[in-house]
Amino acid sequence: MTFDAYAPTWCPGCGDWGIRIGIKTALEQAGYNPSSVLLSFDIGCSGNMNDFLNGYALHTLHGRAIPTLVGAKMVQHKTKAIVVGGDGGIYGEGGNHFVHACRGNHDMTVIVHDNMVYGLTTGQVAPTAKKGYKSKSTPRGIIENPINPLALAIISGATFVAQGFAGDVRQLVEIMKQAMNHKGFSLVNVLQPCVTFNKVNTYAYYMTKTYKLDVKYDPSDRKKALTKAMEPFEEKFPLGVLYNVKAQTYHEQWPQIEKNMLIENKRFASFSDITKKFV
Amino acid sequence: MIVKHVKIILMKFNWKIGGEAGFGIMTSGLEIAKVATRSGYHTFDYSEYPSLIRGGHNTYEVVISNDSVSAPKWEIDMLVCLNKDTFELHKDRLHLGSVILYDPEDFQPDSTSILIPIPFKAFKKECNIDQKMVNSIALGASLALLGGELKVFETIIRDEFGKKGEAIVKENVELAKKGYDYILKEHCPLKQILQKKKGERQMVVTGNDAFSLGVIGADCRYYAAYPMTPSSSVLGTLAALQYQTGMVVRHPEDEISVVNSAIGAAFAGARAAVGTSGGGFALMNEALSYAGVAEIGFVLFLAMRSGPATGMPTWTEQGDLLFATFAGHGEFPKIVLAPGDPEEMITLTLKAFDLADIYQTPVILLSDKFLSESHTSLPEDRVLKLLKTHKIDRGKIVAKTKQGSEYLRYKNEPDGISEQLIPGQEGIFYQANSYEHLEDSHTTESGVERIKQVNKRDKKRQTYLKKHFAEPTFYGDPKADTVFISWGSNKGPILEAMKILAEKFKRGFGYVHFTHLYPLDEEKIKDFMNVKYNHRRILIENNSHAQFGSLLRMQTGIDIKEKWLKYDGRPWWPEEIVQRLTNKS
Repeated sequence: MTFDAYAPTWCPGCGDWGIRIGIKTALEQAGYNPSSVLLSFDIGCSGNMNDFLNGYALHTLHGRAIPTLVGAKMVQHKTKAIVVGGDGGIYGEGGNHFVHACRGNHDMTVIVHDNMVYGLTTGQVAPTAKKGYKSKSTPRGIIENPINPLALAIISGATFVAQGFAGDVRQLVEIMKQAMNHKGFSLVNVLQPCVTFNKVNTYAYYMTKTYKLDVKYDPSDRKKALTKAMEPFEEKFPLGVLYNVKAQTYHEQWPQIEKNMLIENKRFASFSDITKKFV
Repeated sequence: MIVKHVKIILMKFNWKIGGEAGFGIMTSGLEIAKVATRSGYHTFDYSEYPSLIRGGHNTYEVVISNDSVSAPKWEIDMLVCLNKDTFELHKDRLHLGSVILYDPEDFQPDSTSILIPIPFKAFKKECNIDQKMVNSIALGASLALLGGELKVFETIIRDEFGKKGEAIVKENVELAKKGYDYILKEHCPLKQILQKKKGERQMVVTGNDAFSLGVIGADCRYYAAYPMTPSSSVLGTLAALQYQTGMVVRHPEDEISVVNSAIGAAFAGARAAVGTSGGGFALMNEALSYAGVAEIGFVLFLAMRSGPATGMPTWTEQGDLLFATFAGHGEFPKIVLAPGDPEEMITLTLKAFDLADIYQTPVILLSDKFLSESHTSLPEDRVLKLLKTHKIDRGKIVAKTKQGSEYLRYKNEPDGISEQLIPGQEGIFYQANSYEHLEDSHTTESGVERIKQVNKRDKKRQTYLKKHFAEPTFYGDPKADTVFISWGSNKGPILEAMKILAEKFKRGFGYVHFTHLYPLDEEKIKDFMNVKYNHRRILIENNSHAQFGSLLRMQTGIDIKEKWLKYDGRPWWPEEIVQRLTNKS
């Protein structure tokens, strides 16, 4: 039993290939197998990984990969939980859930394929695209400014925020391993070219605009992390772990599941203790 | 099922209090209901309030009876006016024998009913208390007039405020005594309505309380909700009890998160439920469809209020029946149940969780403001028996499968129901897939496989109709020439109306009460309706579109021509049904 399922159907050269290898390698190296993980896939080219990566999985609705996994995680909090989605599902349609999952420091790793377009629906603009980006749905360019996922995660309460590049799988594996190892909400925003629909943010674009964080960089300082997280506004994309701190996770603050997983608890049957309150 | 005996009314006394929102009207109303139940009587209460925290007009009325009672009563027998509005707005419901408690410093009622002036304002000043505490004086006065005991009131206050300290208990009791003594000194007891007698130990519960009890009894482990009247009190009740019951009770960021998290929880193996009203339910629709195709069962509690949109948030209506029935895009099986009173609410909630597990599909439990927020007295032993004797049936949900690594999550089975493995077993994995899928859960677009899965899901509907669908219940005289047909919270007012009608016309009436609203079994319903009750049939609903009438016709071909519809945000009053029948008979 391996993580390998169907052969992927992504376009040749798509960043999704590298991201999948990154996730799979990180999971394998950390000792997981398909029976020991809860995966939650969003809808889109990224979410189509549901058939390419084995596991106990939810292939959810568009935008809802996070809240669906939040529920599953409350019931089986000892199981490793991973969300795979795109910039549209996680930051657009599911933006509200993303912010609130950060706030809760829910113990899960959210891996976002950030290619600044909607690939599966043939190339409309995504919320991470630069202002002015022209697409089928925005022929004269997008009016809104882009979402800044890194800054948004940090100010919302995420305790691990990292950025990777689909063109550098070796670094991606290391980042993902750290993210999966982290207790609490971890975001890995992966910059990824869409070779079919995005002619601006290409491999060549990222080769010149990305840089790796210095080995001496201290990810425990929130203000410094925020400063780094602002750089994409100037088209500078730091790669590596921007922010990493320890904090109580969401499930750790529920006495009901302090010892056992919710599913392992005994059935409550002291009904008269409840009915007497209504007498 | 046929319930033949509709009992004759012995005594129904309607006590009503009114004042501004923020006066503590709700607390006082419940206290008088509990004095009545702890003195051996049955109660039904009904409250009206605007969607405000302060100001506006709040009322609470309690029908006290020596037999079980299931609806409000139109005539008010005692009206406690904490302001002039209370008298002005409700004087048309008073009769010659009604008793009016009021403060002459406030106003002088222009009424031929019995006037009991009480100097509330002077008491308030003398005792230096806030407005909420004035209620205790009014309650004490009511008790004195009705022949009730202060000691009983004290037990309630102690249970309610005991945790806040003896001083608060004492203050409340002393204030009640002031009102009580004032009546004994200045007036005299009028009626022996609350004279203590022996009776069963009774609970005083709303439909929402009953649902909460059912949720606990059904071993639901995960409840999520975003507050929305009239479902909100379930969230509060279950949240307060969760450290005792072990349930996880969450208030997520929106209804979309609420319902998807419940689906996730159910996927992970726990029984899960959500609660909402129409607007929140609208947001949950896409997820219902996901649960349908991924075959994940959970219970959705939908407490209806007057719509559309924000509508009249604190008022009642049965306006979302068709919406609930047809909610979610695409075709998938769904079960819609509607209890008519708190006891049925407990029974059907317990059943709803079993059905959600057995059929691995969403089950919607319908309530409305009237049922959700009106209290009824219910013997505690009966409730405990329901909860304790309930055996949980999880159907084909298993923690271990014998299928091995070739496990097929969506295996084609003759009854349409596949084995659902709780994630965790070594050597196995599968997806809860929102896309159409193969038996092994992988995505497919094959026409052949698509038809297989659609047919498989449809079979669950047929299995349900065969195994778990329940016919309506018939109340009253099987030979009746006039039969009411209805569902949900109209049950209470119709049954009360039938008691009055039986006395008035000296002949029996019938009521066909539907609880399993969708899907309906055409043959069973036709047999039920055609053989026995081929007389004057009156459809009663609390909406303007006769939604159940449409559903009944759509599913069975039965068309009820005579429709009585009410949609002013108020429930049906028994007397209204009586009057309408009298006028038309």
